[in-house]
Amino acid sequence: MTRRILLACLLSVAAVGCDEKLSSVTGPTPQLEPTFTSIQRDIFGARDLAGRQACTDCHSDVGRNPSGGLVLLGGRAHAALVNQVSTGKPGAIRVIPGDPDNSYIIRKLEGAPDIVGVRMPRGNGPFLTDGQILVIRRWIQLGAPNN
Amino acid sequence: MRYIFRCTILTVIVSLGASVPSQGQTVPNDDPDLALQLAQPDFTLVALPTTLRVPRHKGAFRVTHRFTRELGNGDFGDLASDLFGLDNGAQIGLEYRFGLFSGTQIGFHRTSDRTTEFFAQHEVKAQSESFPFTISAYASIDGTNNFRDSYSPALGAVVSRTIAEHVAFYLEPIWVNNSNTLPSALVDNNDAMLLGLGTRLRVRPTVYIVIEGTPRIAGDKPNVTQIGVGLEKRAGGHTFQLNFSNGFGTTLGQVARGGTGRSDWYMGFNISRKFF
Repeated sequence: MTRRILLACLLSVAAVGCDEKLSSVTGPTPQLEPTFTSIQRDIFGARDLAGRQACTDCHSDVGRNPSGGLVLLGGRAHAALVNQVSTGKPGAIRVIPGDPDNSYIIRKLEGAPDIVGVRMPRGNGPFLTDGQILVIRRWIQLGAPNN
Repeated sequence: MRYIFRCTILTVIVSLGASVPSQGQTVPNDDPDLALQLAQPDFTLVALPTTLRVPRHKGAFRVTHRFTRELGNGDFGDLASDLFGLDNGAQIGLEYRFGLFSGTQIGFHRTSDRTTEFFAQHEVKAQSESFPFTISAYASIDGTNNFRDSYSPALGAVVSRTIAEHVAFYLEPIWVNNSNTLPSALVDNNDAMLLGLGTRLRVRPTVYIVIEGTPRIAGDKPNVTQIGVGLEKRAGGHTFQLNFSNGFGTTLGQVARGGTGRSDWYMGFNISRKFF
């Protein structure tokens, strides 16, 4: 009986489902999730704990011309990104649902060698962390829904 | 997770404490598990477990070594000048297992990337004239960063079939949870279903050839299937194994993450010692 109880204890320990916390990879935006609402709130519309500037500091048409002709204000960003052609690089699509590798926003955020202009956010950083970009990649991979 | 860790440690400690024979209680010397199993002399193949039982209240130690130099990197002269990888770094594992009861063993395995694995194995059914296989239930949990970060529990079965004193075959369906170290919100699969396949062939009275492969038949499948082959020499209570594999994994969580590449092969060795 003792043997079965001990074995059951060990099996129970092993049977516990485990997972990593999303905040363990999202760094300076601990609430970031792979949804458009979260990306809009934590990436586009706000500075983060590392001091990265908000995308909407430049990508806004409030009192200025939006950089790259791209407006990332709430309520307008999704339509401006998904399946939309970049004005900076002819032929490039800003967000291709299901294809993060070829989505131009990812290439701009990662500073890929084929981008036109500079890596985003503009300046010398801080740039988005690998974990933050991973979350945006996942949202695109899931079809870039307006969720 | 710290609670689970403490429970595991407590369970192991209580088990060990309870397993020490009390005064007047003796372990029978005629325990059949003390006898050498010629077709299955060791508790592991290259990385996968076998169905060999640890005798009650006895133990066994194992050290695993996987040199991190790719054997295909450079020409033969380069390889020889590095002594086939011995001059380079290695992932080292230390393991101890203990026979808690007749047919039940527990143990731990710690690798030098700071992964710590605790495991338990229990023989459910032994091969006999009326039953062609030995079946063991197997459970483990490994955790990275000295069991503080990413935990990968595993549950499965080890099925073996020995033929005379010359060969043993293994089939090991094992489910590994959280084999992907990223949060599940960022991945398609967080679990992997392994189907370990292996054999140990006794080619000389004390020399064996060991082969194993661990395809992931469902779930998360990063990298490539880890494969290992070994040449083994048994000497008394020791087993020395020179092996070649395409990955460094020696815990089930590591094996579930696959080998490094189809053409990346590394030399390594296992040394085990039975304390009985």
